[in-house]
Amino acid sequence: MAEANEDYIIKVEHLNKHFKVDKEELEVLRDINLEIKEGEFITIVGHSGCGKSTLLKIICGLVSYEDGEVIRNGHKVVGPGPNCGMVFQDHRLLPWLKIKDNVGFGLDHLTKEEKAITVQNHIDLVGLHGFENSYPSQLSGGMSQRAAIARGLANNPNILLLDEPFGALDALTRIQMQKEILRIQKEQKTTMVMVTHDIDEAIVLGNRIVVMSARPGEIKEIIKVSSAARKRNSIDFSQVKKKIYEYLFEESEQEIETDYII
Amino acid sequence: MKVLKTIALGIIVPIAIFILWFWATETGRVATSLLPTLSMVKKAFIDMTSSGQLQKDLLISIQRVLKGFLFAALLGIALGTIMGMFSPIRAMLEPFITTIRQIPMIAWFPLIVLWFGIGEISKVIIIVLAAFFPVLVNTLSGVIQTPEGYLEVAKLYKLSKFKTFTKLYLPHAIPQILVGLKLGLSVSWMAVVAAELVAATSGIGFRMNDARSMMRSDKVIICMLVIGIVGILMDKIVSLLFGYLTPWQKVGQKK
Ligand SMILES: Nc1ncnc2c1ncn2[C@@H]1O[C@H](COP(=O)(O)OP(=O)(O)O)[C@@H](O)[C@H]1O
Ligand SMILES: [Mg+2]
Repeated sequence: MAEANEDYIIKVEHLNKHFKVDKEELEVLRDINLEIKEGEFITIVGHSGCGKSTLLKIICGLVSYEDGEVIRNGHKVVGPGPNCGMVFQDHRLLPWLKIKDNVGFGLDHLTKEEKAITVQNHIDLVGLHGFENSYPSQLSGGMSQRAAIARGLANNPNILLLDEPFGALDALTRIQMQKEILRIQKEQKTTMVMVTHDIDEAIVLGNRIVVMSARPGEIKEIIKVSSAARKRNSIDFSQVKKKIYEYLFEESEQEIETDYII
Repeated sequence: MKVLKTIALGIIVPIAIFILWFWATETGRVATSLLPTLSMVKKAFIDMTSSGQLQKDLLISIQRVLKGFLFAALLGIALGTIMGMFSPIRAMLEPFITTIRQIPMIAWFPLIVLWFGIGEISKVIIIVLAAFFPVLVNTLSGVIQTPEGYLEVAKLYKLSKFKTFTKLYLPHAIPQILVGLKLGLSVSWMAVVAAELVAATSGIGFRMNDARSMMRSDKVIICMLVIGIVGILMDKIVSLLFGYLTPWQKVGQKK
């Protein structure tokens, strides 16, 4: 990435996050520090419940934070904005809107013509040409996620956050979608941050992989992935995979031991 | 074939009733002042329609229903949505409404007649009271069941409260609103007949009571049949509306 300025497009500094649940403080994120450059593809892996979704929601402004600082596009995050799109695991397309209207959901500020063109471009981008007038219930899981990605990109954000977007898809469709998202990222040059529970996926897609610990979520390690390692079945790939396994499961093995002692 | 079977099963009971009726009246086992013969009923029907009286009474009753029902529907949908979207308002009104709802529609008659007399307005008010609660309660429940995930999408795109209403809450609630409208229309129809039976000088309910006072069981039965048929037609019309307003549900079912 030969960007003119070396500024970070996303910068998270000393972020802590607690939720109040039944008057009890639940510590979800602890001292998160993360700097992401424009055009990077970051993947995040971690045990379920460690705060990955919360981190993404804080970055896009859906969840507030009190402690630490989160900068997006040079400004402190205070709420959602058009420069940051989000794709959820359960695609969240609105069942009562046709695909074209779902894709154009956040485009009400455009004129009718502009909106129609933008929507069509993004439907084409994700390969859903011909399904403009379908309802979400008529689409398969993979197609729904394509539509959700199109909606996330329709505003032309320079950041797209993806929260386990392919988690509900079968293995073959998932690999297909991984190729697609890489192609889209190349075409659109969008900075992408994707949470995944699939370690292979994290390696294939990520320039860097953020490995998080169990709750309270802390960043254990950020692993740089060489282009050689991004090829499935390469030796480098296996090495990275092994490394992630070790980070993810060393502590749980300890937990199991202590369980037995008790 | 399945449709034919359903129809065949469905008409067994009505046919049995007609046979029983025919047998009981033609053999003179039941006095015709209590239960008329089928031919008497047919003759009464021809009399009532050729004089135009039945149509006139029906039209009056339907007009009353439409006035009251439309008003109640608008009020119920509006208040149900507002209560669903703004939880303090809901907290303020819900206990009160739950209490009021326990009063049967008929129990409102005396007070309303005291206040408004037996004129046109009191009948419409009865209908409003009857139809309002089913619409309100169903709208409210449809609105508050809007999934949190969808609302998060609205928040992500910074939709205004009004846009969130038109794009999320309302379409999500439509199927349930229609259930409320169906219920509301059916109780409106019952309410108008009941109100006309008790206090009126026109309408299908009045005609029925009038026929009773003259011992014309044939006319009473005609009125009852017409009331039932109109009720079914109203229900069917709302069902048609249902399919028209929720095209996404049709395609979902086809799959
Ligand atoms: N709005 C919320 N209120 C209270 N607790 C929450 C909220 N959102 C998430 N949590 C809790 O925070 C923890 C982390 O959640 P999440 O970020 O969804 O984890 P992950 O995506 O890593 O599985 C979980 O224990 C979850 O129950
Ligand atoms: Mg999650």
